[in-house]
Amino acid sequence: MADEKAEKILAALGGASNIIDIEPCITRLRCELEDGSVVDEKALKALGAHGVMRQGNVVQVIVGPEADTIASDIEDLL
Amino acid sequence: MTLSVGSPVAGRVVSLTEVPDPVFAQAMVGPGIAVEPDRVAADVVSPVDGTIVTLHPHAFVVATEGGAGVLVHLGIDTVKRKGEGFTLHVVKGETVRAGQAIVSWDPAEVEAAGFSPICPVVALDAPADSLGDLSEGATVAVGDQLFSWQR
Repeated sequence: MADEKAEKILAALGGASNIIDIEPCITRLRCELEDGSVVDEKALKALGAHGVMRQGNVVQVIVGPEADTIASDIEDLL
Repeated sequence: MTLSVGSPVAGRVVSLTEVPDPVFAQAMVGPGIAVEPDRVAADVVSPVDGTIVTLHPHAFVVATEGGAGVLVHLGIDTVKRKGEGFTLHVVKGETVRAGQAIVSWDPAEVEAAGFSPICPVVALDAPADSLGDLSEGATVAVGDQLFSWQR
Protein backbone atom coordinates (compact mmCIF):
# COMPACT_ATOMS: atom_id res chain seq x y z
CA MET A 1 0.00 0.00 0.00
CA ALA A 2 2.52 2.56 1.19
CA ASP A 3 4.92 1.52 -1.52
CA GLU A 4 2.21 1.96 -4.09
CA LYS A 5 1.62 5.51 -2.90
CA ALA A 6 5.35 6.21 -3.09
CA GLU A 7 5.40 4.80 -6.60
CA LYS A 8 2.55 7.05 -7.68
CA ILE A 9 4.11 10.11 -6.10
CA LEU A 10 7.37 9.29 -7.83
CA ALA A 11 5.54 9.01 -11.16
CA ALA A 12 3.84 12.38 -10.58
CA LEU A 13 7.26 13.91 -9.95
CA GLY A 14 8.39 12.77 -13.37
CA GLY A 15 9.86 9.39 -12.47
CA ALA A 16 13.15 8.30 -10.91
CA SER A 17 15.23 9.83 -13.69
CA ASN A 18 13.85 13.27 -12.87
CA ILE A 19 14.88 13.12 -9.20
CA ILE A 20 18.13 14.72 -8.13
CA ASP A 21 17.34 14.70 -4.41
CA ILE A 22 14.39 14.12 -2.10
CA GLU A 23 14.53 15.27 1.48
CA PRO A 24 11.68 14.87 3.98
CA CYS A 25 11.01 17.66 6.43
CA ILE A 26 8.26 16.69 8.88
CA THR A 27 5.33 17.70 6.69
CA ARG A 28 6.79 18.00 3.23
CA LEU A 29 9.00 16.43 0.62
CA ARG A 30 11.59 18.82 -0.71
CA CYS A 31 12.34 17.57 -4.17
CA GLU A 32 15.19 18.79 -6.29
CA LEU A 33 14.32 17.81 -9.83
CA GLU A 34 16.00 17.83 -13.23
CA ASP A 35 12.88 19.44 -14.66
CA GLY A 36 10.30 20.97 -12.32
CA SER A 37 7.84 21.71 -15.10
CA VAL A 38 6.80 18.06 -15.59
CA VAL A 39 5.37 17.70 -12.06
CA ASP A 40 1.75 16.57 -12.11
CA GLU A 41 0.22 18.72 -9.39
CA LYS A 42 -3.26 17.31 -9.88
CA ALA A 43 -2.04 13.75 -9.42
CA LEU A 44 -0.14 14.71 -6.28
CA LYS A 45 -3.24 16.32 -4.80
CA ALA A 46 -5.29 13.26 -5.71
CA LEU A 47 -2.72 11.24 -3.75
CA GLY A 48 -3.44 13.31 -0.66
CA ALA A 49 -0.97 16.19 -0.96
CA HIS A 50 -2.21 19.30 0.87
CA GLY A 51 -0.35 21.51 -1.53
CA VAL A 52 2.50 21.80 -4.00
CA MET A 53 4.93 24.69 -4.02
CA ARG A 54 7.25 25.23 -6.95
CA GLN A 55 10.38 27.31 -7.12
CA GLY A 56 11.88 26.41 -10.46
CA ASN A 57 13.26 22.90 -10.20
CA VAL A 58 12.76 22.71 -6.46
CA VAL A 59 9.28 21.42 -5.76
CA GLN A 60 7.87 20.98 -2.27
CA VAL A 61 5.03 18.54 -1.87
CA ILE A 62 3.09 19.03 1.36
CA VAL A 63 2.09 15.52 2.38
CA GLY A 64 1.58 15.92 6.12
CA PRO A 65 3.39 14.09 8.89
CA GLU A 66 3.94 10.91 6.86
CA ALA A 67 6.60 12.77 4.86
CA ASP A 68 9.44 10.79 6.46
CA THR A 69 7.89 7.43 5.61
CA ILE A 70 6.97 8.44 2.07
CA ALA A 71 10.45 9.82 1.42
CA SER A 72 12.11 6.63 2.55
CA ASP A 73 9.67 4.56 0.47
CA ILE A 74 10.58 6.69 -2.55
CA GLU A 75 14.29 6.37 -1.78
CA ASP A 76 13.81 2.59 -1.92
CA LEU A 77 12.44 2.95 -5.44
CA LEU A 78 15.33 5.03 -6.75
CA MET B 1 -12.84 16.19 25.26
CA THR B 2 -10.65 19.24 25.28
CA LEU B 3 -6.92 18.98 24.93
CA SER B 4 -4.81 21.77 26.38
CA VAL B 5 -1.76 22.48 24.22
CA GLY B 6 1.10 24.10 26.13
CA SER B 7 3.86 26.28 24.80
CA PRO B 8 7.06 24.41 23.94
CA VAL B 9 9.06 27.63 24.32
CA ALA B 10 8.91 30.96 26.16
CA GLY B 11 8.14 33.99 24.05
CA ARG B 12 5.45 36.06 22.38
CA VAL B 13 2.47 34.36 20.79
CA VAL B 14 1.58 35.44 17.26
CA SER B 15 -0.80 34.32 14.54
CA LEU B 16 0.24 31.45 12.32
CA THR B 17 -0.22 33.82 9.38
CA GLU B 18 2.90 35.70 10.55
CA VAL B 19 5.10 32.68 9.90
CA PRO B 20 7.29 33.30 6.83
CA ASP B 21 6.43 29.96 5.23
CA PRO B 22 3.26 29.33 3.21
CA VAL B 23 2.80 25.78 4.51
CA PHE B 24 2.33 27.10 8.03
CA ALA B 25 0.90 30.53 7.21
CA GLN B 26 -1.84 28.96 5.08
CA ALA B 27 -2.42 26.20 7.66
CA MET B 28 -1.86 23.53 5.00
CA VAL B 29 -1.11 20.85 7.57
CA GLY B 30 -3.50 22.18 10.20
CA PRO B 31 -4.44 25.21 12.28
CA GLY B 32 -2.39 26.45 15.19
CA ILE B 33 -0.38 29.35 16.46
CA ALA B 34 3.24 30.46 16.52
CA VAL B 35 5.60 31.62 19.23
CA GLU B 36 8.31 34.20 18.61
CA PRO B 37 10.79 32.70 21.10
CA ASP B 38 12.87 34.61 23.62
CA ARG B 39 16.40 34.79 22.22
CA VAL B 40 18.06 32.72 24.91
CA ALA B 41 19.31 29.13 24.89
CA ALA B 42 16.57 26.93 26.29
CA ASP B 43 14.95 23.52 26.50
CA VAL B 44 11.98 23.00 24.18
CA VAL B 45 9.28 20.95 25.92
CA SER B 46 6.46 18.71 24.82
CA PRO B 47 3.14 20.60 24.45
CA VAL B 48 1.06 17.55 25.48
CA ASP B 49 1.30 14.07 27.03
CA GLY B 50 1.91 11.53 24.29
CA THR B 51 4.38 9.66 22.12
CA ILE B 52 7.10 11.13 19.93
CA VAL B 53 5.99 9.87 16.51
CA THR B 54 8.27 12.02 14.37
CA LEU B 55 11.58 13.43 15.47
CA HIS B 56 14.07 15.66 13.72
CA PRO B 57 16.61 17.92 15.41
CA HIS B 58 14.59 20.98 14.35
CA ALA B 59 11.03 19.65 14.63
CA PHE B 60 8.92 16.95 16.22
CA VAL B 61 5.39 15.59 16.42
CA VAL B 62 3.80 14.34 19.65
CA ALA B 63 0.69 12.19 19.29
CA THR B 64 -1.65 11.86 22.25
CA GLU B 65 -3.23 8.58 23.29
CA GLY B 66 -6.39 9.78 21.51
CA GLY B 67 -4.47 10.25 18.26
CA ALA B 68 -4.17 14.04 18.26
CA GLY B 69 -0.89 15.05 16.63
CA VAL B 70 0.82 18.28 17.66
CA LEU B 71 3.66 19.51 15.50
CA VAL B 72 6.37 21.78 16.90
CA HIS B 73 8.72 23.33 14.35
CA LEU B 74 11.78 25.21 15.62
CA GLY B 75 12.43 28.02 13.18
CA ILE B 76 11.84 28.18 9.45
CA ASP B 77 14.00 26.31 6.93
CA THR B 78 16.05 25.10 9.88
CA VAL B 79 16.25 21.64 8.27
CA LYS B 80 19.19 23.27 6.47
CA ARG B 81 21.06 23.49 9.79
CA LYS B 82 21.30 19.68 9.57
CA GLY B 83 20.97 19.37 13.32
CA GLU B 84 23.67 21.89 14.17
CA GLY B 85 22.81 23.69 17.40
CA PHE B 86 20.04 21.24 18.34
CA THR B 87 20.54 18.67 21.12
CA LEU B 88 17.89 15.96 21.37
CA HIS B 89 16.85 14.54 24.75
CA VAL B 90 14.41 11.85 23.57
CA VAL B 91 14.20 9.18 20.88
CA LYS B 92 11.47 8.46 18.36
CA GLY B 93 8.72 6.33 19.93
CA GLU B 94 9.40 7.54 23.46
CA THR B 95 6.48 8.33 25.75
CA VAL B 96 6.68 11.90 27.03
CA ARG B 97 4.78 14.12 29.45
CA ALA B 98 3.68 17.68 28.75
CA GLY B 99 6.53 19.91 29.88
CA GLN B 100 9.24 17.29 29.36
CA ALA B 101 12.40 18.56 27.63
CA ILE B 102 12.58 17.29 24.03
CA VAL B 103 15.44 19.28 22.54
CA SER B 104 17.75 22.14 23.50
CA TRP B 105 18.51 25.00 21.15
CA ASP B 106 19.44 28.66 21.00
CA PRO B 107 17.03 30.86 19.01
CA ALA B 108 19.61 33.67 18.97
CA GLU B 109 22.10 31.37 17.25
CA VAL B 110 19.47 30.28 14.70
CA GLU B 111 18.68 33.92 13.98
CA ALA B 112 22.37 34.82 13.69
CA ALA B 113 22.71 32.04 11.10
CA GLY B 114 20.09 33.79 8.98
CA PHE B 115 16.95 31.82 9.86
CA SER B 116 13.73 32.92 11.47
CA PRO B 117 13.54 31.15 14.86
CA ILE B 118 9.74 31.45 15.02
CA CYS B 119 8.05 28.28 16.31
CA PRO B 120 4.80 27.15 14.69
CA VAL B 121 2.73 24.83 16.91
CA VAL B 122 0.20 23.03 14.74
CA ALA B 123 -2.81 20.81 15.49
CA LEU B 124 -2.26 18.35 12.65
CA ASP B 125 -5.27 17.81 10.39
CA ALA B 126 -7.61 19.52 12.86
CA PRO B 127 -10.67 21.43 11.62
CA ALA B 128 -9.90 25.15 12.09
CA ASP B 129 -12.94 25.67 14.32
CA SER B 130 -11.82 22.98 16.77
CA LEU B 131 -9.23 25.29 18.30
CA GLY B 132 -10.19 27.74 21.02
CA ASP B 133 -8.70 30.03 23.66
CA LEU B 134 -5.94 31.09 21.24
CA SER B 135 -3.45 33.09 23.25
CA GLU B 136 -2.42 35.35 20.38
CA GLY B 137 -0.61 38.49 21.55
CA ALA B 138 0.23 37.01 24.94
CA THR B 139 3.66 36.54 26.41
CA VAL B 140 4.03 32.94 27.53
CA ALA B 141 6.37 30.96 29.72
CA VAL B 142 7.27 27.38 28.85
CA GLY B 143 4.21 25.18 29.44
CA ASP B 144 1.60 27.99 29.46
CA GLN B 145 -1.46 27.09 27.40
CA LEU B 146 -1.30 28.21 23.75
CA PHE B 147 -4.74 26.95 22.75
CA SER B 148 -7.34 24.34 23.54
CA TRP B 149 -8.25 21.66 21.03
CA GLN B 150 -11.82 20.35 21.05
CA ARG B 151 -11.83 16.69 20.02
